[in-house]
Amino acid sequence: MRSVNIEQIAILMRWVQLPLLVLWVAIVYFVRFYLKSGRTWLAWTVCSLRTLALILSFSTGQNLFFTEITHIKSIAIFGGETISIAQGILNPWYVAGPLSMLALVGFVVDASVTLWRRGTNTSRHRALIFSCFIFFLLVSVIHTALLNAGIINSPYFASLSFMPTIFAMSYDLSYDVLRAAQLAHRLQLSKTSLRISEQRMELAMSAAEMGLWEWDIIHDDIWSTNQGRELLGIARTETINFERFLGTFHVEDREPFKRAINNSLAGGDIFEGEYRVMLPDGLIRWLAIRSRIEFNPDGQPFRMYGVSIDITRRKQAELNVQKQRNELAHLSRVTMLGELSGSLAHELNQPLAAILSNAQAAQRILARKNADLDEIKEILKDIVTEDKRAGAVIQRLRLMLRKEEMYYQCLNVNEVVQEVLKFVHTDLANRNIVVNVNLDSKLPWVIGDLVQIQQVMLNLIMNSSEATAHAEHLEDRQLHIKTLNKGEVVQVSVSDQGHGIALDDMERIFEPFFTTKSQGLGLGLAICRTIINAHNGQLWAKNNAGCGASFYFTLPSTSGKNT
Amino acid sequence: MNYPEPGVYIVDDDLSVLKALERLLRSAGFNPTTFTSAQKFLEHLDKNSTGCLVLDIAMPDINGMELQQRLTAQGSQLSIIFLTGHGDIPMSVRAIKLGAVDFLTKPVNDSDLISAIHDAMEQERISRQARENLDELQQRLATLTPRELEVLSHVISGKKKQANR
Repeated sequence: MRSVNIEQIAILMRWVQLPLLVLWVAIVYFVRFYLKSGRTWLAWTVCSLRTLALILSFSTGQNLFFTEITHIKSIAIFGGETISIAQGILNPWYVAGPLSMLALVGFVVDASVTLWRRGTNTSRHRALIFSCFIFFLLVSVIHTALLNAGIINSPYFASLSFMPTIFAMSYDLSYDVLRAAQLAHRLQLSKTSLRISEQRMELAMSAAEMGLWEWDIIHDDIWSTNQGRELLGIARTETINFERFLGTFHVEDREPFKRAINNSLAGGDIFEGEYRVMLPDGLIRWLAIRSRIEFNPDGQPFRMYGVSIDITRRKQAELNVQKQRNELAHLSRVTMLGELSGSLAHELNQPLAAILSNAQAAQRILARKNADLDEIKEILKDIVTEDKRAGAVIQRLRLMLRKEEMYYQCLNVNEVVQEVLKFVHTDLANRNIVVNVNLDSKLPWVIGDLVQIQQVMLNLIMNSSEATAHAEHLEDRQLHIKTLNKGEVVQVSVSDQGHGIALDDMERIFEPFFTTKSQGLGLGLAICRTIINAHNGQLWAKNNAGCGASFYFTLPSTSGKNT
Repeated sequence: MNYPEPGVYIVDDDLSVLKALERLLRSAGFNPTTFTSAQKFLEHLDKNSTGCLVLDIAMPDINGMELQQRLTAQGSQLSIIFLTGHGDIPMSVRAIKLGAVDFLTKPVNDSDLISAIHDAMEQERISRQARENLDELQQRLATLTPRELEVLSHVISGKKKQANR
């Protein structure tokens, strides 16, 4: 207050109500809308009281404080400056000022309590600030009143008490701005890290040739990553439903896949499988598909999401291994047949010899004058029979020499045994070995590749017959072949009374390149084991209680359904 | 001494081959007797049987080669023709050395077999003739007195003077 005459001071004091009103409203606004606390009716009371003060300031007396300013008192303050303080008759309406002040205090207190009750750090923090503010406010009110009443002499420093308040308000506001900036920065960071993580995942999936997909079961709509679409040969923009998805599959794999999916939908959890996909240009890809189903609370499947991985290379390698195994089995078969070739040739020779002699006999008979046609008929009948007999030998030979892929079918093990015995019949006869056959009449079907099972049997019989080769006594020159129904499996055994197997060699005989013969690769039993294992069976050997050894193998039985 | 008529015998364990061979030889004018095993043949055999034997080698129990050995041991006069499904040179050489007339492989051509049988029969006839002559000589020898025998021995050794005294 630097003015020096009464008029000036009076006007100033009158007009001071205006900024006060603005300040009051600002505070109320701040608390009410920014801090969101404080009762509305209190807020209105405060504002209206202050407005009243303003009006009163202009309508009564010189200003709100004084009806009439009588004189000015000058006081000295530190620093050597002098300031003026008004003195005079107090305005009876003066009370409007403090009243609005009280109202504001009440409002702020209430707001602070609400804030405190909210319990969060920020709101308590704010509550504290406002409590301080109230303190300062009270101080300034009392100070002004005292000043106006002429009790004390000092400059009006009401504004000073508002400073901390304003400072607090601006701190609060800016704090939020700061926080907002901080959050924005963090958001930016996390967006960046999310993008990086997405990029990494894209890279990983593309390196693993993996596609991610999601099937909305209810709306029959499939979403897929670009890699996923590429794996199936579907364009990026095309919409995919289940039919379309299924359409990318290889014709033979569609039904199995559909069945597996339906099983999974019925109540499975994780679905896994390997299927072929045919691309538009004709290329075939193997995919490993693994997915999970989500069920809604009613137990209905509503979403399936999964991964498809390109395993073409691995599958190709697997197929190559299998092919090589087949080739090896074939090689072993051919070698075995080579060993049998002498007796096989003999077996073919007999019918041929019979046919020739029969035919030449017929020629001589016809050359006579009175040819007996009945005898010619007999001869021709025999020729046909012999021809068929030769044909059967060739047929058996061809079957064993076959190099085709494994072909699984239902087999009757007894029949297989009998066919193999026909094969070796002559050879065994040449070696003077007798075969005792004991076939279980109630054998279930097994599923297997005919040629390979015959190969195993042939190998075991040949081995046993070689073991018997040096047996001196006729009683020892016997082989016993037995089939047995053991419920889950069918068991076949080939026993001899030869020299048996050394105890140390029991497992080694099944190793590749292990042989006790002077000639031979030692692959026969190793291949037999591979074949039986591929059929989910077992092959093992035991020495007999007496002399000789027995070889057993099992094959799983089926329930009799045709493949 | 009386000898039985020379016969033709066939031994083979394969029935269809046996039947066919029988037909063939019959159509060629022979009268063969057939046997499905060496054992059966030995049982039927008369010690003095003569003739020709068509013999398969690969047979269970007693095979063809063994049968040949047994017959030789018994002093049999049969001529053997081997007929085999798989034969090699050593085997055939051994068979011939042991006295077989021929070694043929199946399927056998009718003319080969029949000419072999004729050869065998011819040989058989020659040796039989020789035996018969020998028998006759021995008979005659048996009628000589001891003194005549002595003279004979001198004659044989070329001592004419001794014989004439």
